Amino acid sequence: MELVTLSTIFGWLTYSAFLSLMAVGITLLFRTTKVANFAHASFVTVGAYVTYTLTVTLSPNPYVGVPVAFVLVGVLALLQFYAILEPMRKRNSSTVMLMIATLSFDIMMLGVVNIHADYLTSTFAVPARNILLSESDFKFMGQPGILFVALGTLALCSAALYMLLNFTTLGIALRASMENSSLSEAIGINVSKMLAISWFIAGGLAGIAGSLIPMWTMVNPNTGTLLIASMFCASIVGGLEEIYGAILGGFLLGLVDVVGTSILASHVAPWVTLYEPVIPLLVLSGTVILAPRGLAGVHLRRGRSWHL
Amino acid sequence: MALIDQVILFVVDLLALFAVYLIISTGLNMQQGITGIPNFGILFAVAGGAYITGGLSTRLAVILLGIQTNLDPISENIAVLQLVNPILRSQPPTAVVLLILFLMIGGMAGALMGLISSAPAVRLREDYLAITLLAFGEILNVVGIGYKPLIGGPIGVNVPDIFGWAGSYRFYLATLVLLLVAIAIYAFAGYIIKTPFGRTLKAIRDNEIVARSLGKNITQYRTSVILFGSLLCGMAGSLWVLYSGAVTPTYARFDWTFLPWLMILLGGIGSNRGVLVGSLTFVTLNKLIIYYKFEFVGILPFDIVWLNYLLLGIITILILIYRPEGIVQEKWTDPKQNLGAADKPT
Repeated sequence: MELVTLSTIFGWLTYSAFLSLMAVGITLLFRTTKVANFAHASFVTVGAYVTYTLTVTLSPNPYVGVPVAFVLVGVLALLQFYAILEPMRKRNSSTVMLMIATLSFDIMMLGVVNIHADYLTSTFAVPARNILLSESDFKFMGQPGILFVALGTLALCSAALYMLLNFTTLGIALRASMENSSLSEAIGINVSKMLAISWFIAGGLAGIAGSLIPMWTMVNPNTGTLLIASMFCASIVGGLEEIYGAILGGFLLGLVDVVGTSILASHVAPWVTLYEPVIPLLVLSGTVILAPRGLAGVHLRRGRSWHL
Repeated sequence: MALIDQVILFVVDLLALFAVYLIISTGLNMQQGITGIPNFGILFAVAGGAYITGGLSTRLAVILLGIQTNLDPISENIAVLQLVNPILRSQPPTAVVLLILFLMIGGMAGALMGLISSAPAVRLREDYLAITLLAFGEILNVVGIGYKPLIGGPIGVNVPDIFGWAGSYRFYLATLVLLLVAIAIYAFAGYIIKTPFGRTLKAIRDNEIVARSLGKNITQYRTSVILFGSLLCGMAGSLWVLYSGAVTPTYARFDWTFLPWLMILLGGIGSNRGVLVGSLTFVTLNKLIIYYKFEFVGILPFDIVWLNYLLLGIITILILIYRPEGIVQEKWTDPKQNLGAADKPT
């Protein structure tokens, strides 16, 4: 019996690509707004339901939803920023209060998504829970298309983010406001606008990830909630100080989660799979206790860490 | 049913839920409100108390009542309870002893979960801590579903009916017990806050460096508060299981983490009286929504439970933006006024 099957490897790559897309947004928001955004869970779910709603109403091709989800969830994140976080920031609310606000927004959106799901069922007479669209996915070289789409999207998005942050004036202003917001304000950067842009990007990326998930696994209104621990885990393992660390974190967590569980289940004991959801939690608590700054904070040489 | 019966039933049910949430919110307020530990994982302690009570109660009852049986207390739960419950019904004193025992078990289970979560809690910055504890909260549900001998897997188990001897007054008695325990705990927490210990906690919350410079061992204080708060949450979980008579591994973050947070925010974070006001206001509001839920069936094209989520989310956000201090503001203690007997140097 071989150690790992090819399909496990592909499962790992797909899952990790999704996780990375979500974790990049969490890290970005943590860097710019100094807040751990729990509402990322519902961003992902909303993205997934955008795809499903469009396949029900407009077109059978599930990939139509991707750009729509990017814009819609990006706008949703903007809404959260302007309606909730900006007023609270102006009142100098503490970090904990900001986090509760994001948690509340998540709960609110959970209600909205469920109402939307009920509405879909009652209006279009289609199931709106336990959705799986892998049937309408295409095949490429005998593998489900989502594998290539997920990896391709991740590559494209991170390249675009890299270009934006390094080769445009906007990106430089964004990075400046991450590094030192009061100094950036002093030299005339509109920091509030920069934060808003980062919220749009982070939301959009989570929306894209969410919109692709129905082609890979079953989606429910609580899909995002179940993934949120893994998102934070990927983000923290990669190091909350470093944006691209999130991608590394996503692939590492995916490796431990998918491949690790599969090896243990087939070679040690099958009941291991029951406890799979605990893995990200253990990785997360291990990381925050042993290396709180994540992989990006691990010093390669004395006095030097990985940087952009 | 006569209207008066309906009202009584409504109030009794409401008071039981209020009692459970009062205990949990008191525990949370001790941690977040008084000491400034953002425990986003109180679900961990509540579920710990509930699941361990669920897992041990039938087993212990069989052993302590001296019942000779080959049936398994978890997988053949119903059959075993058919042997246990008649004995408990005929012996009220035994039932009371068991109640106290189970309550202690629940409290200790909660404290154990608190001990586990205190490992990161004394080391980490508040944002990292909140993320870690939020993640921690989900572990027990995974274990509860995966490990059948705990509470019988996804279907859950029933627990011995401790209040069965009250006959048709069972729910009244259960509610009364819950309320008495809750009020005792609430009063005790109010007392602790006023002691030098409580003021040290507030000092740690307000300025850790100053507290440390005054020779206070921050780690020790924070650990003991987490243990105390989690103990209360565990007891609440245990009481809720004994009240409802069964437990399933479905304790959700929304019910047992978000709602208590909402209650202390609504009441006024850091104020013990606020906890009481917040829990009562909130539980009443929530019960009324559920009670009138059936009026809306058929009118709205969705389940009204989701409207509840939506409304509660909005209410919390509005409180956070417009009245972050809550209904009852925390009273600032004047050290000169408070110099009671406990403070005098001995």
